[in-house]
Amino acid sequence: MNSGPVARLDNMTKKNGAAGPRENNRGQTLVVPGEDLGDSEGFEAGHGVMAISGRLKAVKQGRLREKGRSISVEPTHTRYIPRPGDLVIGYIEGCTNNIWFIELGAPFNAILPMSLGPGKIDFGGTRSVMDIGEAVLCRIQEVEETHSSVVTMKGMGLRKIRSGVIEEIDPHLLGRLIGKGGETLRRLKAETDCRIVVADNGRMWVDGELDGILDVRNRLSAISGDSNGGAN
Amino acid sequence: MGGYGDMQMIDENGLRVDGRSPGDIREITIETGVIPVADGSCRMTWGTNEAIVAVYGPMEAHPRKIQRQDRAVLDVAYNMAPFSTTDRIRPGFNRRSREISKVTKDALESVVLLELYPRSKIRVTIEIVSAEAGTRCVGLTAASVALADAGIPMTDLVVSVASGKINDVVVCDLNKEEDNYGEADLPMGILPNSGELVFLQMDGNLSQEEFKEAWQYNMDAAQVVHEMMVEALKRGDSQ
Amino acid sequence: MTIPIVPKLLRAHLSELSGKNARIDGRTQWEGRKLEVEHSVLPRAEGSARVRMGDTIVLAGVKFQLMQPYPDRPNQGGLMCSADVRPIAGRHWEAGPPSPEAIELGRVVDRGIRESGCIDVDSLCLIPGEKAWQVILDLFAVSDDGNLFDAFALAGIVALRNATLPAERFEVGKDYPLPVSKTPIMCSYHKVGGRFVYDACAREELGGDERIHITLGDDDNVHSLQKGLKGIFSTEEFTEIMTNAQGRTKELRKIVDSL
Repeated sequence: MNSGPVARLDNMTKKNGAAGPRENNRGQTLVVPGEDLGDSEGFEAGHGVMAISGRLKAVKQGRLREKGRSISVEPTHTRYIPRPGDLVIGYIEGCTNNIWFIELGAPFNAILPMSLGPGKIDFGGTRSVMDIGEAVLCRIQEVEETHSSVVTMKGMGLRKIRSGVIEEIDPHLLGRLIGKGGETLRRLKAETDCRIVVADNGRMWVDGELDGILDVRNRLSAISGDSNGGAN
Repeated sequence: MGGYGDMQMIDENGLRVDGRSPGDIREITIETGVIPVADGSCRMTWGTNEAIVAVYGPMEAHPRKIQRQDRAVLDVAYNMAPFSTTDRIRPGFNRRSREISKVTKDALESVVLLELYPRSKIRVTIEIVSAEAGTRCVGLTAASVALADAGIPMTDLVVSVASGKINDVVVCDLNKEEDNYGEADLPMGILPNSGELVFLQMDGNLSQEEFKEAWQYNMDAAQVVHEMMVEALKRGDSQ
Repeated sequence: MTIPIVPKLLRAHLSELSGKNARIDGRTQWEGRKLEVEHSVLPRAEGSARVRMGDTIVLAGVKFQLMQPYPDRPNQGGLMCSADVRPIAGRHWEAGPPSPEAIELGRVVDRGIRESGCIDVDSLCLIPGEKAWQVILDLFAVSDDGNLFDAFALAGIVALRNATLPAERFEVGKDYPLPVSKTPIMCSYHKVGGRFVYDACAREELGGDERIHITLGDDDNVHSLQKGLKGIFSTEEFTEIMTNAQGRTKELRKIVDSL
């Protein structure tokens, strides 16, 4: 497997559009890191875009978005970044005598101090109340650079999740899942007869009859554009 | 470096052992999204080289001691699979792989916007499953594609290619024989949009003029390879 | 390997699914995932294969070396199987020396192939007491979405059956195909939600209990068995999976032999 057709510098000149912005099959422009997006005069660098020396440059791989004067890149895969006030579903990864460590699918874990936990617990009693592997619905209280972010369970509807399943969806698809004014989500709940709580970190709690849960799962796969398990 | 200048590697028509002209690059293919369980991935073949790269993260940095408060850390590992070379490589600690892991990490840390993800870790694993000279180049190039595929922000992609000298002729993109028996090897890691560098090594014997020639070959080749990388990333994204 | 946290809800859900004879990815109890098998995919290996089962992807490479036969077996060559699961294959796989999980993988696959006698180590001898072939099978995980055992075992036998002895490179004659007289096939079963299922995916492994690996030869002869992880099973449960293995190994053997 040695000599075959090779790339020749002389005939590999910049092909039409290959190096410039190109459209996907939904007519959206695709960009890659380092790609020039034009003059920065009069425009604002949004998510995934930087302004350098009077030019706008893409720093992420994804779809170009223009909203008013803001130019941003919507990546194909997003990682959830915690913000104060976000509703999140996390898994308990560990605990000490008075803190639970919560895994959020984010670049770093959060802590849930006993004082912000469910009800009243004695020091040392953390594991008996919520054990490793349990799922919790909670809210981001604060995100600080100098210490871990903090979540709280003090609030309406926040609780340990005792039944049902947790499904995952890429955070950038949450908009599509919920729909305009929440219409798509409302329809999903009604048609599958399931309780569904959608969190900001790309996780959702689905509870109901098994058939309904499987129905929700299938519809989620369709939204993600996946093809499911499959047979041989 | 061999420095065996008397092995004939350029014929009377100026063609190399594999039929290429001095300025030609070997055949390259690039695919993204090849490892379903990873956050980003890339498979790149370059001549008989094949590299597969997976990116995981950003994620919680374990163990705690490697965590940095001000930015993410890049955990880069380059490894050659036992069946990647003619003589089997015994698995285990390998100094060459450690060095390449380090210089690859140094290169990638120069372009990834690490400050956006403090206290986290981004894991980049480069596996060479088939080797034919220039594995560190294909590894670094494929790693930058995999990082883009994973949605990690970078100021530019990185293209790495090695030029050198055989029978006193400066040539682009050394193959196995040329790397073994040639007189110089100059691998570079280039940011295609600005022409700046993040990776540079050299060994052998080049005059100042020859050095400039080899440098320019790498710069030109980087533009060509960059086209293919962009094409592959956009192809993967438009599905 | 870092042991991932097992979400408690997952185990409850898998129980509910198995009670209704369903699985988390929509398959039936004995159904395998989509299978892709290719051979001769690695240019530097003397034999190779790539196997994809669902989202689990592995490579197998066969390399040959010359060895001196062991003093107590002067007329025999050698066969060595080595499995490596590196961090590329999944978040939970760590760098460093092979974990107990990776070692178990390699040894179980090795036994299945070795005990079938498909490689005749006597035929690998070139000069008794002096020179013999050593066959080295390296198994390499690229993407771990569950059941690396079957993927490795399948890739291993396909790589061996498509291997060529590089006699010319070692100057001991002309190249010729490695003689492989049989096709041992492994089938793995995982107890998920209280019952055994075939070809578990990663989530089933995460929320499941013990697993059993069965390697059968061309004649349904049993060549190796292994039970792994914590759990208890009955004779009836074992008989059921052994029956399934007899059928499934035949299907896979047909695919391997037709390549």
